[in-house]
Amino acid sequence: MRTTLAFAGMTLRSLLRRRTIYGILIVILLALSGIGQVPSFGVEGESTFIVDFGLFGLEIGAMLLAIGLASNIYPRDREQRTAMPLLAVPLSRGQYLGGRFLGAALVQAAALLLSVLGLMAILAIHGYAVPGDLVPAAFLLVVEGWFLLAVVFFFSFWTSPPLNAPLTLLLFIVSQMSVLQFVSLVPTAPGLMRTLRLILPHMDVFRIKDPIAHDFAVPDVYFLLAAFYGLAYTAFMLSVALAVFRTRDLK
Amino acid sequence: MEDRPLDVSELTKTYRRSFGMKSHHAVDSVSFRVAPGEILGFLGPNGAGKTTTIKCILGLLRPTSGSASLWGLRPADPRVRARIGYVPENPDYEDSFTPMEFLRLFASMRGLDAGDAGLRRLLARVGLQGWESSRIRGFSKGMRQRLSLALALQSAPDLLIMDEPTGGLDPIARKEFRDIMLEERARGAAIFLSSHLLSEVETVCDRAVILSRGRKVREGALSDLLANEDRHRIVHLPPGGSSEDRIEETVDSSGLQDRIDAIRQSGGRILEVRPAFRSLEEVFLSAMGGDRG
Repeated sequence: MRTTLAFAGMTLRSLLRRRTIYGILIVILLALSGIGQVPSFGVEGESTFIVDFGLFGLEIGAMLLAIGLASNIYPRDREQRTAMPLLAVPLSRGQYLGGRFLGAALVQAAALLLSVLGLMAILAIHGYAVPGDLVPAAFLLVVEGWFLLAVVFFFSFWTSPPLNAPLTLLLFIVSQMSVLQFVSLVPTAPGLMRTLRLILPHMDVFRIKDPIAHDFAVPDVYFLLAAFYGLAYTAFMLSVALAVFRTRDLK
Repeated sequence: MEDRPLDVSELTKTYRRSFGMKSHHAVDSVSFRVAPGEILGFLGPNGAGKTTTIKCILGLLRPTSGSASLWGLRPADPRVRARIGYVPENPDYEDSFTPMEFLRLFASMRGLDAGDAGLRRLLARVGLQGWESSRIRGFSKGMRQRLSLALALQSAPDLLIMDEPTGGLDPIARKEFRDIMLEERARGAAIFLSSHLLSEVETVCDRAVILSRGRKVREGALSDLLANEDRHRIVHLPPGGSSEDRIEETVDSSGLQDRIDAIRQSGGRILEVRPAFRSLEEVFLSAMGGDRG
């Protein structure tokens, strides 16, 4: 564990020294500040509008962060041969993946929490109270971000960075669909599509922007179960990613 | 755990190609061993399969068949990782880091308790004194090689695996690298040195394996490889001559006995008869020629 944590620290430092994270963070914060400037066109309450679009923007931001931070880590390590001395001597492949994931997850969490603070600041600037459930929603958003990060790592072991982004986006869209929406994609094979939907992640459990924006109370147990689901699926994705990584030759 | 640091047995790595193209045997049934405290030179032209073999030994590539074991264990075994140092060919590192940061991180990952003073000494040993806190971004190829060597030496490894370690170095730095190799051998470490710099191998290695197109074409102690079985050298004195008059001549082995008899019959005195030595370059080119022919 000590080895993995040390490598996570190295990953963390390395990511913080690259410009990518700051670029994505600026885009997210600019988008959030833009939401505060858009007229609500009669939507009931400007605060509802800001929270609704703000949380949606943060969800997209979580995906951008996952892609921006992780899609290039392994291909870059392989291309620049930095992976060779690491994997040859001090690290096992599990420790490499664990360290890289942990480092990226910490950077992503910090960026997302900073973005949530930005959303809270925009609400405050406009004179609105921060919804009570925004804090647990932020943590759920972080879990969703970690799940997406695991997905990006999984794809990065068998595809190129330009293909990683559309594949992650595709999974992001598909996993937001309801069973009915998913079955309607291939209506001729409803049984197969239902089974497939069952296996694919249900990222719709993280989508709680509507109740929060409209001030409906979300039970605490929901947050806990959704977080547990997200973390379990993240662990599953990382296990699959590791299984793929272990079969890969480092030419 | 076995005593032998490295045992490569019938190692084969084949790259399959798609669309009915022929498979490519990068390494083909290669076997050799490295004993404790010896330096084994691993020679071959570009594309001979040296780096592929090293990557199989380190567990970076999975062999198609055969095996590579270190002290009798799989390369991925943590007990093995703790005992080896690896100097890769053309190493590259996170260039926003400094050598000290890197050494600290590697020490931490290896569970070593290394203080900054020890790390500075290590950097000085490989010729990076004064560069401890400079970003690797500004380092030349040779300086990256030096850092690579420092990282490999950090854990005082029992086996050093070096892949073209002096490729980007100037002659002085090459000499420094060679000295470090000899120091490490004197400490008891075994060294597996892949190189196509024949002079380097000739200077430091105890044994050599020559690879060509993925196959082993020669193996042996350097003295045996360099010995020319077809030619012998005779050192003799002419009749009544003193040691200042000694004569050295090289003869074909087939005519060796006749020549010795002739010298004796003429009253001369044979001082020494030994196989004539070739240069490693001659051995290497002959191995390549034989393989290609």
